[in-house]
Amino acid sequence: MIKVSGVTKKYPARLAVDNISFEVDRGEIVGFLGPNGAGKTTTMRMLTGYLPMNSGSIEVAGFDVVRQPQEVRRRIGYLPENCPLYPEMRVDEYLRFRAELKGVQASARKAKINEVKEQCGLTEVGKRIIGQLSKGYRQRVGLADSLVHDPDLLVLDEPTVGLDPNQIRQVRALIKQLAERHTILLSTHILQEVEAICERILIIKDGRIVASDTEENLHRKLHACSIIALEVQADKAAVLEHIDGVGGMDVRNINELADGWVWVEVEADSPDMRVELFNLAVAEGWSLRELTERQHSLEDTFVQITQNQDVVQ
Amino acid sequence: MSVFFSLLKKELYSCFCSPIAYVVMFFFWALTGGNFIWLLGQLAQGESLTIASQLMFSGPLLTFALPVVIPLITMRLFAEERKLGTLEALLTTAVRVPELVLAKFAGALVFYVVLWLPVFVYAYIQHALCPESVSGFPDGGALRAGAVGVVLVGGLYISVGLFMSSLTSSQIIAAIGGFALLFGSTLSLALLAYSAQSHGLRAAGQYYSSFAHMMDFSRGVLDSRSIVMYLTYAAWFLFASVRVVEGKRS
Repeated sequence: MIKVSGVTKKYPARLAVDNISFEVDRGEIVGFLGPNGAGKTTTMRMLTGYLPMNSGSIEVAGFDVVRQPQEVRRRIGYLPENCPLYPEMRVDEYLRFRAELKGVQASARKAKINEVKEQCGLTEVGKRIIGQLSKGYRQRVGLADSLVHDPDLLVLDEPTVGLDPNQIRQVRALIKQLAERHTILLSTHILQEVEAICERILIIKDGRIVASDTEENLHRKLHACSIIALEVQADKAAVLEHIDGVGGMDVRNINELADGWVWVEVEADSPDMRVELFNLAVAEGWSLRELTERQHSLEDTFVQITQNQDVVQ
Repeated sequence: MSVFFSLLKKELYSCFCSPIAYVVMFFFWALTGGNFIWLLGQLAQGESLTIASQLMFSGPLLTFALPVVIPLITMRLFAEERKLGTLEALLTTAVRVPELVLAKFAGALVFYVVLWLPVFVYAYIQHALCPESVSGFPDGGALRAGAVGVVLVGGLYISVGLFMSSLTSSQIIAAIGGFALLFGSTLSLALLAYSAQSHGLRAAGQYYSSFAHMMDFSRGVLDSRSIVMYLTYAAWFLFASVRVVEGKRS
């Protein structure tokens, strides 16, 4: 669906995007992550044909962004950063205007607008003035706009920024629902969003793609060891000594809790070493009330990749 | 073409939604209305009718009001789109930049013509009330030429204002820049045309001064040289605006 090859974008003062290449297949939902200023928005703008690139090429659905911009635009629904809208217009008027610009046939326009309004939960607010809507509703108007010409690909630049937790949940549910029918490239800072929605993650840093894989694979590549947490009733020093004594295991953290139990975090070569820990507790006569493998969070992975890890492809 | 008309419709919608349009309308209509009343007084005192049409379209007050009024109309055209971020939303649809610039220009021009509508009505009233036998009365031709002049001068000024608006995301800067350029050039060219010592400078001033041109137009003189000049300069500023909007993306 998207094929980016060797794209570079220079601004007068800096290199925004440095020779990036990636592909997105039809039907995929890809999360586009990166620190602020890493080049996410610039990449999305080049993808939608808004910004020219200095070198490289981008194809969307087989059409070249530079040579066939109209064909590409017809196939992309784009929600720019901060969801720009005309505050003086009514929701219906705005959607009609956008549908006209996007070449939706006059005969199909009304039905299409009603369809996207229903999809985005806007049926009740069609007559309201956009400037008087809450941010959550405005975001939905932006999404409805990006859908109105029935595009194959949705490019969403931080669709949930500035929303409250309830609105975030609603917009996220909406995006998830859209994923059934569209290919989606989604940029965001909210990592739970990516965990909840996306099948694959692209991470960009300083204008270069530093990671492109599924979440599980990224975790696996980055974190060689497993983390196991356990809580036992025993003497802290004895616990430390015995666990360190087992091969392939290191105590990462140990704490005496207020109720006299000891909480331990262990780095182990494999999650299966929980069995050994259990046997150890039995052998030593410790009471055991927790024994779990802790998941690496996407946040850990993101921080690790964007701060110090080398290229993971 | 349908995209152009959608954009034009939206421009007019936004224009008539903004309070500034009504403020501008109020002052301009007050000004032209006052001008008409004063003109009637002059005629009642036996002033020659030949100046009637001239004062109707090209009184000094009106000539120097346009450089103030037009930047107020044009300041939001691109500056607002930039500020809101909607320019990006527009240019990622089927809209082409020249189409957008032309639609914005046409929208502002329509509003400008609406501003002048009362004057056309006054001209008609004056024309209808004065007997044809009065010699020296500005005939329909002169009034029509005056109207053409008004649109030509307005078109050029609007293209300048639009260009200024394309340069910035601040409406204030667009308005002040447009005012400075239009007022400065109108005033200095009028001064050159009427009070320069050297004959050459004076000729140059008369050749370029919109004030001098309006005097001609409203006497019924449609000089093709000045018509071509207005159209050319307006086209140049529109072309420059297209280049600025295209270039400023990167």
